[in-house]
Order: sequence, then C-alpha cells, then structure tokens
Amino acid sequence: MPVVELSYSRLQKLIGKSSKKQISDSLPFLGLDIESEDKDLVRIEYSPNRPDYSTDFGIALGMQGLLGIKTGAIKLKIKKSKQYSINVKSDVAKIRPFVTGIVAKNGKIDDKTIKQLMAMQEDLHFGIGRKRKKSSIGIHDLDKISFPLTYSTTSRNDKFIPLNSEKELTITQILESTDVGKDYGQILGNSSKMPIITDSKNQTVSFPPIINAAVTTVTTKTKNLFVEVTGINKADAEDMLSVVATILQSAGFSLEEVKISGSKNSTPKLESKKMTVSTTLVNQILGLNLNSSKIISCLKKSRLDASLKGKDILCIIPAYRFDIFGPMDLVEEVALGYGIQNLEPALSPSQTIGQTNHVSQNLKFLSQVMVGLGYLEALNSSLTSKRVLYEMTNRNSSKIISVRDSKSQEHTILRDSILPGLLENLSKNIHESYPQKIFETGSVFSEGNPIDEKISFSGISAHQDANFTEIKSVLQSGLKTGFDLEIQTKTTSHPTFEDGRCASVLVNNKTIGIIGEINSQIIENYKIRVPVVGFEISLSDSILKSV
Amino acid sequence: MSQVFHDIEKKIISSLKENSKQSPESLEKSTNLSPDQIRRGIEWLKLKDLAIVNESKTSLISLGKNGLESIEKGLPERQLLNSLKNGPKKLSDLQKQLGPVFGPAMGLARKNNWVKADSDSISLNNEPAEIPAEKIIKQIGKEKIPKEKIDASELSVLLKRPDFVIEDIVKTKEITLSDSAKTLELSDSSGAIDVEAKVPQVFVARTHPLKDTIDEIREIFVTLGFSEINGNMTQSSFWNFDALFTPQDHPARELQDTFYLDGISAKKIATPEQIRKVSDSHKKNWRYQWDINEARKMVLRTHTTCVTIKHLAETKPDEARVFSLGRVFRNEKVSYKHLVEFNQIEGVVVGKNATLRDLMGIQREFYKRIGITKIKFWPTFFPYTEPSLQTMVYNERLGKWVELFGMGIFRPEVTKPLGITKPVLAWGGGIERIAMLKYGLDDVREFYNNNLNWLRSASKCQ
Repeated sequence: MPVVELSYSRLQKLIGKSSKKQISDSLPFLGLDIESEDKDLVRIEYSPNRPDYSTDFGIALGMQGLLGIKTGAIKLKIKKSKQYSINVKSDVAKIRPFVTGIVAKNGKIDDKTIKQLMAMQEDLHFGIGRKRKKSSIGIHDLDKISFPLTYSTTSRNDKFIPLNSEKELTITQILESTDVGKDYGQILGNSSKMPIITDSKNQTVSFPPIINAAVTTVTTKTKNLFVEVTGINKADAEDMLSVVATILQSAGFSLEEVKISGSKNSTPKLESKKMTVSTTLVNQILGLNLNSSKIISCLKKSRLDASLKGKDILCIIPAYRFDIFGPMDLVEEVALGYGIQNLEPALSPSQTIGQTNHVSQNLKFLSQVMVGLGYLEALNSSLTSKRVLYEMTNRNSSKIISVRDSKSQEHTILRDSILPGLLENLSKNIHESYPQKIFETGSVFSEGNPIDEKISFSGISAHQDANFTEIKSVLQSGLKTGFDLEIQTKTTSHPTFEDGRCASVLVNNKTIGIIGEINSQIIENYKIRVPVVGFEISLSDSILKSV
Repeated sequence: MSQVFHDIEKKIISSLKENSKQSPESLEKSTNLSPDQIRRGIEWLKLKDLAIVNESKTSLISLGKNGLESIEKGLPERQLLNSLKNGPKKLSDLQKQLGPVFGPAMGLARKNNWVKADSDSISLNNEPAEIPAEKIIKQIGKEKIPKEKIDASELSVLLKRPDFVIEDIVKTKEITLSDSAKTLELSDSSGAIDVEAKVPQVFVARTHPLKDTIDEIREIFVTLGFSEINGNMTQSSFWNFDALFTPQDHPARELQDTFYLDGISAKKIATPEQIRKVSDSHKKNWRYQWDINEARKMVLRTHTTCVTIKHLAETKPDEARVFSLGRVFRNEKVSYKHLVEFNQIEGVVVGKNATLRDLMGIQREFYKRIGITKIKFWPTFFPYTEPSLQTMVYNERLGKWVELFGMGIFRPEVTKPLGITKPVLAWGGGIERIAMLKYGLDDVREFYNNNLNWLRSASKCQ
C-alpha cells in the first residue's frame, strides 16, 4: 500500500473548522490507515484505487466531506484558451502515442507544496502509471516554455540538459548513465526513435516517460505550471491528468486548457460522468433502510453530486474518481458517507447446516491416533530447498518443481516428500531428550496435468533402540485404527533407508509407501547420534474417502 | 501431620541429630549408605529445606616425590653439608656423589654462607642446625595437612622448589540440619512414600498447536452453518487473479510478490465461456490487451479465494455458506512477522438477502467465539470486493489495535462473468496471527521451527 506523509497543522488549515483529534479519529473511516505518528507529522497508508489521496490536498477534500464541512462533487473550472497547444506528430504512434496536458496559473508554491506534488507524482507513476509504463507526468514551469509545443520523436543522439544535471547529455547517455534512465529506459524498448516534447524555439521540454529538461524545473519562485501526461492509452493518460488537475485546483491554482491535436490525440475534457443507483440496491446490500434523501446526503459527504431521478438516484462523478465502475461502487460511497462506525453488525440465522470436509476430518482423526501412539505432530513448509529434500537424503532430484525468484534460499522448491523435512527437524533437536517421535501429514507435489497434489503421511522415531519392528508396528496399528487398513511389507531398497532394513508398504497388493531404518550415513549427515526409523505413505483419495 | 520420609532421609537425619556437622564421607560411615544414596538423600532434604549444605574449599599440602626422598636422605643441601663434615672435597667429586641435585644444593649453601669455595675445593664454613624446609617436611611427613597449619612464608619458598610439596584444592561439604529439621519427629510408618515430593517431567505427545487453532476455527464456522471446501495449492493465474478482477499488470502479480512455478503453464484453465467473459470484463474495465498466456501461468495460490471463486463458478448457488482453509504463499523475506507460507481461512455467504451488516455480524460472532470481543471495522480496498472492510481487533498484550480479517462483497465484475447472480459476502485472513495471540508468541516462525522443547510444552494462554 502506498504511503503519504503529511502534517496535521497543514491538513487542519486545508480542511477548515476541525481539530487534530477529529481528523486523526476520522482518517480510518476514509479508508486511510495511520501507519505512524510523530507529533505534527503523520504517515498514512492509502488504497491504490484512490490516487487523489496521494497528497494532503486530496485527503483534505475527502475529510471536508466526511466531517460535513464541504460536501458534493469537486468541479474542475478549466478556462478555455487558445494560447497553449501541443501538436502531435504521427511518428510517436508506435512508441508512446498519447499526450495530454493542462496549465495551472497563479498558485503559491512553497517547499511543502513542492514536496507533496513530487510525492503525488511518484505515487501516480508507480500505481496507476504502472511504473510509468502506462502513463507518466511531467510538471514544468510554464513561463520557461514557448508555445505551441510539438510531441514527436527524435534520435538517440539528440542532446539537452536534463533535470538535476548541469551539462548536456544525449538521450543514449541519459538512458545509460542516469538512475531514471536505467530504471525506466526499458519502457521504450530498442527503438531508434525516442519520444520528445519540444517548444516553438525547438528547446526540449521533456523526454517522456524518463525525464524533464532542466530549464523547466519547478521552484518556490514558480507561479504558473504546465503539466503534461503521456501514455500508451488516451483514457488512462486523461485519468491521470484529472487527478493532477483536481489536486492543483484545490491547491489554489486556476486551470487553463491545453489544446491537443494530431495523430488521434485531442483536447482533454476531464468531464464528470453520470451513473444511477437504486435505493433498493443500496439498502439491500448494506442491510439498511435509508430513504433517498439520506442516501443523497451520504453520497455528497463522499464528495459526489447526487439527486433524485424517478425512483433512482442520479450521481455525478468527477473525472478523478475513475475507481467508480458501477452501482456497487456507489453503494460503497453511501456506506462511507453514512460512516462505517454507524453500521451495526447483524447476525442473520443460517439456513444451512455446516459440514467439515471429509479429508480434514479423516486427517484430524489420524492425528489423534498418532498422538495416542506417542507421536508429536510437526509442521513444515511445503516450499522447501534442494538441500533438505534431496542432498541430505540421497534422493534423486531429476523432477523438481521450483518457483521463480524466491527471496528465501530455504524456500525454492515444492516438496515431493515429507520425510526429509522430519529428519531435518530431528537434526535441529539433538539436544532434546530422547525418544523423539514425530509425524506430519500434508500435501506433496509432482508433475502432471500440470501439477499433482497428494496428501502424504510420514512418521519417524529416533532413540537408542529404534528398529524396524517398532516402526512397522506403529504404522500397522495407526492405519488399522485410522482407516481399517491392513498393510503388508515387501523387501525393497531406497537411497534414504538402510539396505536390508527397508520395505515397500502395500495395501491390497498396491504399493502406497516406504518404511524402514534410515541409512546410517544420512543419520550421520544430520549429526543425529541414535538410530532413526520411519515411514512415508501416500493417502490417496480412495483411502481418505473410504471412511 | 508428620511428614513422610524415605528411609535414606530418616537415616541421614538421625545421624545428623547425633553428630551435627558431617561430611558426606562421614555420613556414609555412620549410616552405612552408599555414596549415591547419601548424595540423593542430601539433595532431597535440601529441597525440603531440612538440610543445609555448606560447601568450602580447603587446600591440602602433601609431599611430592623429592620431598618424600628428602625424609630418608635429607634435603640436597643437607646431603651436601653432610658430605663435607669430614673435610673439604673436590668439586668434581661432589658433583659425582650428589648427581643432579648438586647444582641447587650448592647454590643454596653458598647463598647462606654454609660453605666456602676455594679454586677447586669446597669446605664447610658454618653448619646450620635445622633448615626451615626440613622442619616443614618433617611436619608433613606422609600426611595431607591443611595449608593454614604450615608457616606460610617458608612454605612458599618450598613450593617453588620442584616436586617437594604438592598443593591440592579439595572441595568439602559439611551437612547440618536446618532449625526446622532439628525438632522433627521421625515416624516409623513403613511403606509410606513422600507424596509431596517433586517428580520428573514427562512429555505429552500432542497435535501441533497451530493445527489446534486451525481445528478450532474450522469447528466455529461449521457450527455457524458453513461447509468446508478444499482445492489445490497450485493454481493457474486465471483463478488466482484474473477471475478476481486483478488486472494482468497489477503489482500483486509481479514475480517479487507471487511465486510462479518455473516453466509450468496450465493447458486447460477454465471453460471457453468463462475465459471469454472474464477477459471481456478486464478489457472493458481496465482497458488493456488481456493475454491468455499470462492467465495460464501456474502460481502458488496467494489466497484461498481462488478455491472459493472456482467453487462458486462451478456450482452457481442461490444460497450457500462455504469456507476453505489452507496454506497460501507470498514471495516475502522471512521475518518474525512474515512467512512465505502460511494458513488462511476464507469464507463466503451467498444469498439474495445477504448484506454487509450480516458480513460484519458473522465476523463479530467468530471473534467472540475465539475470545476476542473488542473489535471494530474500518473501510479498506481489495480489487475484487466492493464495499470492502477490515476488522481491527484490540490486542491487550500489545496495547494496540491490530488488523485481522479483510472482507467485502464480491464485485459484479467478478461474479457476473462467472454466472454468479446473487450477492456474495466474502472474508478471509491469516490464521497464524490468531494463533500467535492464543499462544502468546511474538515470532510467527516459531510455528514451523518444530522445536521439540516448545512443541512438548506449548500451552494456550487464551
């Protein structure tokens, strides 16, 4: 979840009539989790579907609604203008086809505002921009740019001074030597043509989605901003622009239109959308009995506009609320406006009779039987390592199923057997008193269609007098009591077991597992100083369902 | 009521009543018990605060090889002086006569002016009566004598000479009766044993503590009318993500969060209709090119919701209460609060009258039954539910609110493509977190360490 850092005092100023306590108590009910607090500073986790909460300006808008200080939708006031335009050339179509933008004038930009805007930009890039791949933003000092602009492509040898640099770099140098170039260069692939926004004096403004030119850097002296958003999809780019426009307007800027034309591009409208929701749906889903005017007031507290239209409620949804897909989202907006703390849990009687799954029921019984035989239940991960599964026990590792890019060396492959994990457990307990007897039931994995998952059951016993007879007795009694099964054993050999002390386990002439005394070399590998005996059998569906 | 004692204890107490300070060795003699019986008896009495054991260290001095030799032959310097009694002797003759001790003997004799040396001959100058070292050797003789009985400064000189005296540090025990024991009346009732005595620990075999919590949770949901379903841990991305309206470029689907099985794709993932409708919902709402190959990639399930949604897509019930419970996986760094593999419970209620308040009610009832009564609900976000809430529960031990289960109503974008027409209330969360509360653990890894000491002794604290 993304995190935004803000100050209570600044938030209070933005919200108006509110106390610090009121704000901190209400934050969770906007869906914002307080991660940590330090006096005036507070770090807040917000949901990725609400990019408007990436700044204190956006959070203030939501909080005004929830506290009833200002309700209803935020309307963007965008002044029509012919002064600003971007002409798009068709050569960008194959690499990053869309650009959109807006001008924001006469704002006050202090350090804190710059910090909030930078953080917003980062979060938008990471979240809805999908690490700048889908869409990305450039924020510029308007007064350093001569309109009209051109969005086109250029060669990798083209040069300009990028942000945070003092000298000219070629595009190739930017991609190879700057952090942002290295992080995001792969978005542009290996095309020889690179997207570029230039102004009427042919000065580079931006190299999207990588970096702005240094000349348009925003400082505390900046009064007027130009924002461009580029992307691979027009609607996504405009969604992102709508968030930035809403935030800038609430930060005190006056918005002005930027005309966009050429190669399937057009001037963004950033219009609200209309959607209806029925009072029946709201009450049915929430389990409430609200009348339409209450529902309307709840929606307004969620900063939407709403009015009665016949039996339904018509909502006006500002462009930046593109997380709203349909009526169910509006039901949630009603719930938030109503206040989740005001929803009383209800317990409606069950019309159904509950039932445990027979597999878990049978496994639970088997556990009880094993406990009765003096065995302690162990639990190991099904995701384990080659060392535990194969190397320590001499088993053949030709058919391993591994996961990609595990962050933990100890969890890289799916187990096909439980016994090696139990031996590993004993090796970690050589200082505890003997006898040590443990068992485990759980899933094991093998290739096939595409993966076979079976329940396996394994037990081991370690002490000075552990021997084949003991472990066969245990398995024999366990399966007889647990599943009414009679077992036979037949001489076999297995790399984990001692030759001549190892047998296949059969039920109705079908092999279901292996039993025996563990190979002394393996016991030594594990530094265990007493004999160990064990078994592992597969509990097929036919066994588990037979009871 | 008089206390019952073991015969060994009785014998030791009686002996100490006669002779109040004794060593274990002297108790062996006076009671005719074996050293082991004495040791055990003293230990028992000590535990009952009836005997006091004073341990002290004593230094004992005895003669070494050279010291013992000196008893017969005299000290080397005395041998030297004796051989000069009959007049001066040549240095070489003395060397031959005295052998290796000549050097040190001559050194001492010259230092004390007992002899005079002129060119080649040595003569007696002034014969001492008794040298202090001789006195000590005589005093010790063949005995072991406590160090403090010997003149310390002379002894230290002798200790420096090789193998004349040996110092042994010996631990001695002195047993006395405590005040309460002195007045004890020893009963003669035979056959009685000490039923108040401490006994050795035996270990119970038991089911795994985490399994117990899992079973407890299973029982609770069964009694609330839910039936258990189960499914595979390996799932196609289609059921783990796509069917749950998680777009293919969503961060949660990246390698760094989800375990993908290396090189394994599912051939058959769902019915053609399910695939078509789910992909249409993605294309329309998320505006991107949905790729079936992405949906085929096999993952270790990141939640059990994939099992539930598959079940609902197959059965399309009008009414249902089901839950699934099992292992889920996240590609995380293992730490005291994160595991790569943990257990999750996930349940759903399907019904035309199912409401968000019902969902909250089920949570409250569940928490009540596992002993958690201080709960509240906060709004949150999940890609596949709307509205979405999370339960916060108050952890008394940590003194703060912690997040437990997440919940919500499946989005129409999830249910509609799969032909599910009635509202579906869904919730889920990790079980280890609840088990940690129950067993008072701060480190979630403890559940999978299989530390026998813990498994043998873990007891529930809630």
